[in-house]
Amino acid sequence: MEETPGLSDQYRKASPWPLFIALGVPISELGLLFDIFPVAVGGLLLFCGCVVGMLQEAGYIRMPWSGLAVSAGLLFLAGGGVLYINPQVGVDMTLRAYAILASGLILAMGAGAGRLFVPKSQFPA
Amino acid sequence: MDISAQISLTVLMGVFLVAVATWLTRVENWRSYSPVGGGAIVDRSGYVEEEKPAGIIRWLTTVDHKDIGILYGLYGITAFVVGGLMVTAMRIDLVTSESLLGTATYNGLLTSHGITMLFLFGTPIIAAFANYLIPLIIGADDMAFPRINAIAFWLLPPAALLIWAGFFAKPLGLFGPAQTAWTMYTPLSTGAAGGSADMVGGAGVDMMLLGLHLSGVATTIGAINFIATIFTQRGEKVTWANLDIFSWTVLTQSGLILFAFPLLGSALVMLLADRNFGTTFFLSDGGNMLWQHLFWFFGHPEVYVLVLPMMGIVSYVLPRFAGRQLFGFKFVVYSTLAIGVLSFGVWAHHMFATGMDPRLRTSFMAVSMAIAIPSAVKTFNWITTLWNGRIRLTTPMLFCIGFVSNFIIGGVTGVFLASIPVDLVLHDTYYVVGHFHYVVMGAIAFAGFAGIYYWFPLVTGRMYQASLGKAHFWLTMIGTNITFFAMILLGYGGMPRRYATYLPQFASLHQLATLGALIIFVGQLIWFWNMVSSWFEGKRVESADPWNLADDGVNTIEWQWFGTKLDTQLATDGGEADEVATDGGQVDADDASADADADPETNTE
Amino acid sequence: MEAKIFDRETILDLVVNFIPLGIILFFIGAFAVFAPWGFEPMASGLMFAIMVVMFLALAVLTYLSAKAIAGDEKRATVYAQGQAGLEGAEPIHGHDDAADTSAATDAEVDDTESTSE
Ligand code: HEM
Ligand SMILES: [Cu+2]
Repeated sequence: MEETPGLSDQYRKASPWPLFIALGVPISELGLLFDIFPVAVGGLLLFCGCVVGMLQEAGYIRMPWSGLAVSAGLLFLAGGGVLYINPQVGVDMTLRAYAILASGLILAMGAGAGRLFVPKSQFPA
Repeated sequence: MDISAQISLTVLMGVFLVAVATWLTRVENWRSYSPVGGGAIVDRSGYVEEEKPAGIIRWLTTVDHKDIGILYGLYGITAFVVGGLMVTAMRIDLVTSESLLGTATYNGLLTSHGITMLFLFGTPIIAAFANYLIPLIIGADDMAFPRINAIAFWLLPPAALLIWAGFFAKPLGLFGPAQTAWTMYTPLSTGAAGGSADMVGGAGVDMMLLGLHLSGVATTIGAINFIATIFTQRGEKVTWANLDIFSWTVLTQSGLILFAFPLLGSALVMLLADRNFGTTFFLSDGGNMLWQHLFWFFGHPEVYVLVLPMMGIVSYVLPRFAGRQLFGFKFVVYSTLAIGVLSFGVWAHHMFATGMDPRLRTSFMAVSMAIAIPSAVKTFNWITTLWNGRIRLTTPMLFCIGFVSNFIIGGVTGVFLASIPVDLVLHDTYYVVGHFHYVVMGAIAFAGFAGIYYWFPLVTGRMYQASLGKAHFWLTMIGTNITFFAMILLGYGGMPRRYATYLPQFASLHQLATLGALIIFVGQLIWFWNMVSSWFEGKRVESADPWNLADDGVNTIEWQWFGTKLDTQLATDGGEADEVATDGGQVDADDASADADADPETNTE
Repeated sequence: MEAKIFDRETILDLVVNFIPLGIILFFIGAFAVFAPWGFEPMASGLMFAIMVVMFLALAVLTYLSAKAIAGDEKRATVYAQGQAGLEGAEPIHGHDDAADTSAATDAEVDDTESTSE
């Protein structure tokens, strides 16, 4: 098991991430637009997770945890922004804001857990 | 939404995410990042199959520009088929002055036909050519950002599903397709928030707006990728002075996209917000004019986004079969750039009849007149290239010539529309429909066909059936001119556009247009059959120069790549290796004389 | 440097963009002289702004691209489109050696052709 290379280092012209990044966008958009909490959260997790995975694959970051933390931060900002403008528009957007914040929270927890419990030696220097 | 639905959705979403994660860990095996990655890493140059996994996984995970080009092509053709079937239904509906399908269905088809053809066929089919060919022509290894390239493509299938969502949801009794027309003018499209109380499709409109937004995002990141590729990845010998015309047009197109599409995206988000989030961007005073300005500031550049690369294909392919280089190459380059700039100063020629200030109106007329010149210059260059050339009427060449002919009619009718007094008479009539279909069908689709036939051997390694290609051309050419000339005449008669019913005096011209559309339809059936059967069973191309371009000294670099590919394939297959010119692009003297007498196409029958 | 890049041949190539520039200039002049709807700062200002902005943008882009293209022309070998890097491709020298053998063109046509290719 340890010896078999992953897809993206075995084949230099293949990557599993783009497909799911592209799926994450419409899923989260649909969830947010039609106010469907689980769909919005799922889409955002898929999108952010796969973007971080791709960054790691491309060698921009060594371990995914900091990337997850940054995306969580961005989601907190976005969710906060929605909460802030909520009183100024004619429709209640609280649940949408909570969906964004919740996905941020899950990502932040994932980042924290990863940093604490996954040994660094799992990743190439 | 009630609580049990929420819970089941949550479970569903969770299962989906876990499935994705499992699949990803299986293919990606996160623990295995060791530099000794495996013996599978092969020589970085040359054509090697082992770069990609096999089967369906290959197509889902590929980041190779050629694969992505093929995916774009299949996607664009699927959309062309869907949009074509839609319009065939509409034209049949228009045989009688009463609507057979019912006006709501007609309007839904009308909206989806326009958007499908512009955003799901036009832009992607150009991306197909650009992805496959530009790295080959400019000597780049791949696109500048291969993974981003894949993301841009994979955004498109969900976009199509969203845009067509109403047609799937209608039979389920959920909501219908959008009936806003492709321009999505407010207040019609603001739905319940505005005056139209969602007669035009309800959630179907929201879905369509989301889908459009998605395709806009995809197009924009694709454009950034092309700009980066053409600026930074050119081969050493490919200077600005000998960058080919197709790459120039794609570069200009990408520039247009970069300025136009984000604006469309913002306008769409504003409209979505008006519909769903209680904002009032387009509901307050002047909101309707605001929408039209935003939409057309995108919309006019969009037509050049579609036509410029297609002009590039014609400028690239037509000289090959005229046996000489393109006349006035740099005229074509500079006029491409001129069109690129000026296309941002003409948008309000779509709004002459809105009652805007007459002084402002005249300035848009002035710039519209100016932009006609670079378009005309290109036409003269194509004709001059043909002049005294050694013309070979192969199928791609026929489509190039058809392009020039139809573009002249489309362009001239456009210049008339750009003149305010004429436009006030003809605006919103079938004349406009005739004008832009001469360009979008007669020119843009024709150039697409020219490119598909010309590079068919390059992509598939096989030749199509030439006689079917010729039949396809003539049926399409005749059908196009019957249909859209009838529309121009209908417009002179005062037939307004976007109606499912009409007054009896328009009946014969409408029936003529439908006849033409059916001729086109038959032509496309032949084309489709030809493509599918030739892809699997066409005669294998054995020469690296299937068009015998080297005879005239007009061969180009992508065929040299093709020659290398043929060699490696033959070498690995064993057999026949010495029959093929080993140097790729150039055919040996005796080889050339053997093929030279006949048209390459006729060899294959 | 500038003078060398913008020689007679390059200027000739650029004529193609001088024409739309001239048309815009013509309309700017015409609308300045004839103003059937009178002058009003907002509307007339926008009217002139559209035309002037387009004129300037086209002029600037033409200048920049001409510098890039003509500069590269002087710096490196020029090939016909799609032939850079092709084995056995003949470079274009900008003289009367275009690969056009079949056409019986007279000297004048040959001249314009080679300058614009
Ligand atoms: C070159 C490719 C061209 C394409 C693809 C194209 C496409 C279109 C499209 C799609 C429309 C209809 C928009 C709508 O109302 O739904 C249109 C209308 C128009 N086109 Fe073109 N066009 C092209 C060239 C030109 C040229 C060269 C001119 C004039 C210089 C021109 C002038 C106009 C005008 C004035 C209208 C508005 C007519 C009206 O609604 O009253 N077009 N064109
Ligand atoms: Cu326009």
